[in-house]
Amino acid sequence: MRNATLPFAFVAPALVFLAAVLGWPLLQAVWLSLQDVGVIGSQGRFVGLANYAAVLGDGRFWRALLRSLVWVAGNAAVQTLAALGAALILNQQFPGVRLARTWIILGWIVPTVVVVIIWRWLLSTSGGMINPLLVQAGVIDRPVGFFASRESAMTTLILINSWRWFPFTTLMLLAGLTRIPGELYEAARIDGAGAVKRFTRITWPLLQPTLLVLGVVGTLLSFNVFDVIWLLTAGGPAQATQTLPVLIYETAFKGYRLSEAAAVSVITSLLLMAFAVAATRAMAADEAER
Amino acid sequence: MKRLTFLAGLAALLSAGTALAEPVNLTLWHMEQPPHRVQRMQELLDEFNKANPDIVVKQEPQSWGEVYAKAPAAMSAGNGPDLLFTIPDFTTVMKGIDAVVPVDDLVKELDAKHGFVPATLAPYQYDDHVWAVPAYNMAISLWYRNSALKAAGIEVPKTWSEWKAAAEKLSADGKYGIGLPANKQLYTDQTVYSFMVNNGAADIYKDDGSIDFDKPQTVAAYQAYADLQKLSPPDSPSWTWGEAEACFASASCGMILQFTVINTYDTQAEADPADLGVAPVPHADDQVDSATISYSNAIMLTTKDAAKQEAAKKFLTWLLEPQTYGRFLTMEPGLFLPVTNDGAEADSFWKDPVVTKYKSQVETMVANSKNGKLFGFTTGKVFPSIGAISAQNVIAETLQHIVVDGQSAADAVKAGQARMAEITAKK
Amino acid sequence: MRRSLAQNLVLALGLLVLAALVLLPFWWVASGSVKLPKEIIQRVPTMMPHSFTTQHFEKLFSSSDFPTYLVNSLLVALASTAATVALALPAAYAFFRMDFPGRAALYRAILLAYAFPGVVVLIPLYGLFSAAGLVDSRISLVIVNVAFALPFAIWMMRSFLASVPREIEEAALIDGAPVATILLRIMVPLIAPGIASVAVFAFIASWTEYLFASVLIVSDERRTIPVGFAGIIGQYQIDWGLLLAGATAATIPVVLLFALVGRWFVAGLTEGAVK
Repeated sequence: MRNATLPFAFVAPALVFLAAVLGWPLLQAVWLSLQDVGVIGSQGRFVGLANYAAVLGDGRFWRALLRSLVWVAGNAAVQTLAALGAALILNQQFPGVRLARTWIILGWIVPTVVVVIIWRWLLSTSGGMINPLLVQAGVIDRPVGFFASRESAMTTLILINSWRWFPFTTLMLLAGLTRIPGELYEAARIDGAGAVKRFTRITWPLLQPTLLVLGVVGTLLSFNVFDVIWLLTAGGPAQATQTLPVLIYETAFKGYRLSEAAAVSVITSLLLMAFAVAATRAMAADEAER
Repeated sequence: MKRLTFLAGLAALLSAGTALAEPVNLTLWHMEQPPHRVQRMQELLDEFNKANPDIVVKQEPQSWGEVYAKAPAAMSAGNGPDLLFTIPDFTTVMKGIDAVVPVDDLVKELDAKHGFVPATLAPYQYDDHVWAVPAYNMAISLWYRNSALKAAGIEVPKTWSEWKAAAEKLSADGKYGIGLPANKQLYTDQTVYSFMVNNGAADIYKDDGSIDFDKPQTVAAYQAYADLQKLSPPDSPSWTWGEAEACFASASCGMILQFTVINTYDTQAEADPADLGVAPVPHADDQVDSATISYSNAIMLTTKDAAKQEAAKKFLTWLLEPQTYGRFLTMEPGLFLPVTNDGAEADSFWKDPVVTKYKSQVETMVANSKNGKLFGFTTGKVFPSIGAISAQNVIAETLQHIVVDGQSAADAVKAGQARMAEITAKK
Repeated sequence: MRRSLAQNLVLALGLLVLAALVLLPFWWVASGSVKLPKEIIQRVPTMMPHSFTTQHFEKLFSSSDFPTYLVNSLLVALASTAATVALALPAAYAFFRMDFPGRAALYRAILLAYAFPGVVVLIPLYGLFSAAGLVDSRISLVIVNVAFALPFAIWMMRSFLASVPREIEEAALIDGAPVATILLRIMVPLIAPGIASVAVFAFIASWTEYLFASVLIVSDERRTIPVGFAGIIGQYQIDWGLLLAGATAATIPVVLLFALVGRWFVAGLTEGAVK
């Protein structure tokens, strides 16, 4: 526009702020990863890339990476399905729809620590509701331990995290749905298309951009989820839920190997950045097509 | 309404900011965050500050969950506390960054005056110094209901085979004979180690600092634990202390290993005090005496300022005086046990209403605590890697490989030894 | 558009499942918080409370500083919200309504903020705040919360800005109005629902934040609700009644808030963008 510097003046505060609060500490983390600092606050020597060699040669890192991928994929699948179902319901007109649209968000507006305590109690065998309910419904014949095996621990964590996040995803999808012009459905109806066909031919394709963006942002957000996992299983049982953020925290604050944790962080960040760059390219391409 | 709460909060904020300028200010960090403990602490601090106008001690409760990261960060940034509550492995971490001041003279003086229980002092005595002043002790005991044992026709178990038989008998009508945790968490470290000390596997280090974990006694202890653990509720692999207590209080679990259940039993089970039974942790069949795990909680001096150090010593001396000490211990009555002989006799301790109500149980707990040991602090030599071994719950994780992954005890212990050695090898 | 009976049934069933999924856990917690301790840990739990007591709430409010935590949480969340909107609005306007060299690259750089785990910057940030004397201050929490909410906030503004026709701005520009005036006088009212959504997002992100608040705040009088709540969990004992009361008390303020602004948030997301 008229003033060439004006856009920069608009963008600068946000950029400078992010650079100072996130960028600068990230650089420090890189510097830390090249030293051999143990406990926070102790002195370290420069060791070059030794930490990176150690981390990449350690099976623990690769297993955690694999678990993180399972975690992200599981969350994406559960949340997308649950949110799509919920959004399709809330996109209908019925008495009380505004109320339902507002209060579906309840699980998301409660502090994570509270969510964790709620589920810890509900899943326990002393006073928890879930076990008796499942027994009554005939799903199981005696109480089970939800965190007692590798598979069920990961599954339970994914379900709890999805319980917290799917309302938000639902609203995002709902926003996408409301942007689809009603005339399209009318036209399809006149052409005699059934409900399934209308979904596969209109709703699904037109939701793609929203789903793509949600997929990218959701992947980054759920990849970095730490508190739910840490507070419920601490990465157990037998490391079955030790994702990369948990590994980083444990290495730094429980193993007292701060520099090694920094190296894991840097590698993780690089992986995520590569993903984010590729994804934003895809989004840009997607936009250009339309 | 909303405005009222806002104003109330604002007033609280303002009043909290007032402090006197001249006296020596001491900041005390402790991890006894539950509100009633903080309240009792404040009562004691108010009393001390009033009696000593030249000193102001202020408490800042933290949580065990974060303090391992927070305290070193705060110390290195220069805004750490002057007095810091601790357990043995946390002291090794803080000592590692040179944040702890030895308290040899003070402990000597207090020992002459009140007589420390040796088991509470031992985990802080190494490298030619004493690194903290013991404050209270906690030890694991076996808890049960007298009536339940009587109904099943069994005696209080003393050996592992008696214990297993008892647990099997108590497993009836959808109830669980025993509740043993298998979580990757400190509670499981504690219960597993209570088995190890009862089979002569107390030491996990050799004198040269190499790991001494993988031995037949350890394997047998894990095997015995895993066998009993099968009789525990299905959610026990995610238990912390609270779930075990709830299981016992609701009479779902016949027996549990715990520091205490008195408070929960008293407030949540609404049952007869005389029915609550407590005994030493049973020992292996070929052992003679019972031992247990004990956590000696202590207070470290973390200020380099001479005037503050003097003031802190004055405060610690005051705290351990029998007339104050009992009230300090009963901030959680029936959990915190005395570390001095004077304290074990102090009126201020035994006069607490809950302690009075459960006197015989507390007496058993105090007796058990004198036979307490802690992994990594048994040989008089302490090696820095114990901090990381404790914090990463290697003992508990070893159990998970048996309970969750179905490994043999021998394989799991072997892997545990390897993991500990790996941690020790890194700096 | 009439739905058939079968369709209505499916819809009702779906709504019922959805309601159970979202509301039942809260019902159990809220009803549990007024049960006697014995009933809370009972082996066969009760759907409706058989006992009634306010003892857990009395304990909560008499022994912990819940009102203070509440005020702190509100102060931090409101300040974070204001700062996030103030920074995001001009940035989003520049990104999505103006053209300048490096626009795409800068926009991507901002989104990259999500590409590293928060745990990574915890320790370096602590050092930074410590050097600035901001440890144990509410400002430090505001700074962190804004940093983590900002990228998503900018992205959220995008579709709202895109929905405003270019002609409106161009007409104003021809009239000689400065860009800042256009932004404040013309754009802001037009995308008000969008700003509301961003504000609520920033508020909730701050309201629920735990990790940084637990490390950066030292003294009780500056704790936020998540950290204060974690404090009553306790190390060796758990008082489930107290925790359920705490969970209920921590939920009520946001429920009240949402009762007031929730419609805006949802409407902003779903209707504001329809153009």
